[in-house]
Amino acid sequence: MHIRRFNRIQRLSHLFLVVTFLIQSGTGFGRLYITTDFGRSLCRLFGGYEAAIVIHFWVGVAMMAGFGGHILYLLKRIDRKDPVKSIMGPDSLVPGPQDGQHMFQRILWTFGLGSHPKLDRWAYWEKFDYWAVFWGLPLLAVTGVMLRFPVWTSIILPGWVLNIAALLHRAEAILAASFIFIVHFFIGHIRPTSFPMNEAMFSGSVHLEEAIHEKPLWVERLKKDGKFEQQKAKPPALWYRVLYYIFGYTALGFGLYILVNGIIYGRYIELH
Amino acid sequence: MRMRVAYLGGVLPVLMSLSLLLTVLPEQVLAQGEVTSKIYRYRERVASGYYEGYEVSPRRQRARVAIPGTPRGTFPFGTASSAVRLRSRLPDSHRGLKFYERTTCIECHPREARDLHSTRADITCRQCHGPEPIAAIDHYYSPMNSIRRYAYICSKCHEGATVNFADFYVHEPPAGSLETWKSFPVLFVAYWGMLLLLVGTLAFFVPHALMVGARELTETRAFRIPRLITGHLFESLKQGFRSNKGKRSKKKKARADEGNNAH
Repeated sequence: MHIRRFNRIQRLSHLFLVVTFLIQSGTGFGRLYITTDFGRSLCRLFGGYEAAIVIHFWVGVAMMAGFGGHILYLLKRIDRKDPVKSIMGPDSLVPGPQDGQHMFQRILWTFGLGSHPKLDRWAYWEKFDYWAVFWGLPLLAVTGVMLRFPVWTSIILPGWVLNIAALLHRAEAILAASFIFIVHFFIGHIRPTSFPMNEAMFSGSVHLEEAIHEKPLWVERLKKDGKFEQQKAKPPALWYRVLYYIFGYTALGFGLYILVNGIIYGRYIELH
Repeated sequence: MRMRVAYLGGVLPVLMSLSLLLTVLPEQVLAQGEVTSKIYRYRERVASGYYEGYEVSPRRQRARVAIPGTPRGTFPFGTASSAVRLRSRLPDSHRGLKFYERTTCIECHPREARDLHSTRADITCRQCHGPEPIAAIDHYYSPMNSIRRYAYICSKCHEGATVNFADFYVHEPPAGSLETWKSFPVLFVAYWGMLLLLVGTLAFFVPHALMVGARELTETRAFRIPRLITGHLFESLKQGFRSNKGKRSKKKKARADEGNNAH
């Protein structure tokens, strides 16, 4: 039996983020490493050095539009009758003191000391994933626009701010890509509980046994609130599963290609 | 009436904040303040080499005779002082260098050749620093002097460049070095801040994820879930394959039957 974990808007948002993030990584790292063979081959994929920046800029604009849409979605999801509960409650991604507790408990569990924490709908690492993107996107967008329009920027800001913007844009991009391609991919694909792929974000549902194992408090809460029956979902169709397995592994392969080459050719580039 | 209230309540605060903002923001300098007409400019100034006094006068910068590292005003003026010069203020910044004619810029300035302008835009040193003798960047009459750099150098490629724009460090100092802490502290702080964030995030989450993975390996329960997922996938694939196989064999059988019937 499956229970629904993500709705259609959330899944589409994730899919949009995956596609745009990979394009931004390809074009961005292609330009960053342009003095190396790796950078040139990446840029060639996107039509060359000049075409890459045009794609990078417009995909960035699309990402910001998506981010704006996401903010509207969040505002719509806030329960006006009880905003505090909907913002700080267990269905919210806003971190709370229990997340720190869970993290500490889970670290102890990895050493064999104590039991695994009983998690609710969102685990602390999932919240970290979410907020990393949430603050990273505007930072990349603002610095990206500044670098794309340096003359306009310098009308109101001194030129040295562009040096800082370039540094922040690159450093944040490296941080985001390395986190996604190492930690997020490991959690989503490689770790024993997820291997060969955590399907929840694509299928929208999880197997009940998986939910009870990973998020027991969430299942208990659903049953207690009488929402369990509503959350029941059909397992995904075979063709759909094959499709997102291919997509997921393509994304994983592309990410690892950038990560490995980025490390190998890292000595030829500078962060600033 | 309501419209008026809405207007007064909405538009006026915005206008007031904007005017407040204007007082806070630095004064706008129009692009190429010195260059009112490019054609006349070129004909009368650049081509002739004649500049108005206001364009080349030192303004706030005073002629400076200094010994690097010695606080101003503490060294005595004397006959020998006239020989003391800072290279960044000489009309020929390379004056007196031995074997200068046989050297290239990169031999003495290797780091300067690795910035974005050189590596990405293929800009050569001469395109900005001009022909020999290369005037020092702070020399009064140098086009690289910060009072006119934006108009004479930056605007060649970045049309509309302002005085602010020329503040961009083309030859950035190494962001992580202690010298940068003195010359460009914001860059130094941004660099180390981001590096710490990057290293800190990965230093926590990579071992954490690996340890969780290792711990899950010891849990038999954890293995049931992937088996649950893949098992279903493989079963579905198998079933799909079998049903297709069944369909194909049925079709074959039907064709054979048709053939037999025809005979």
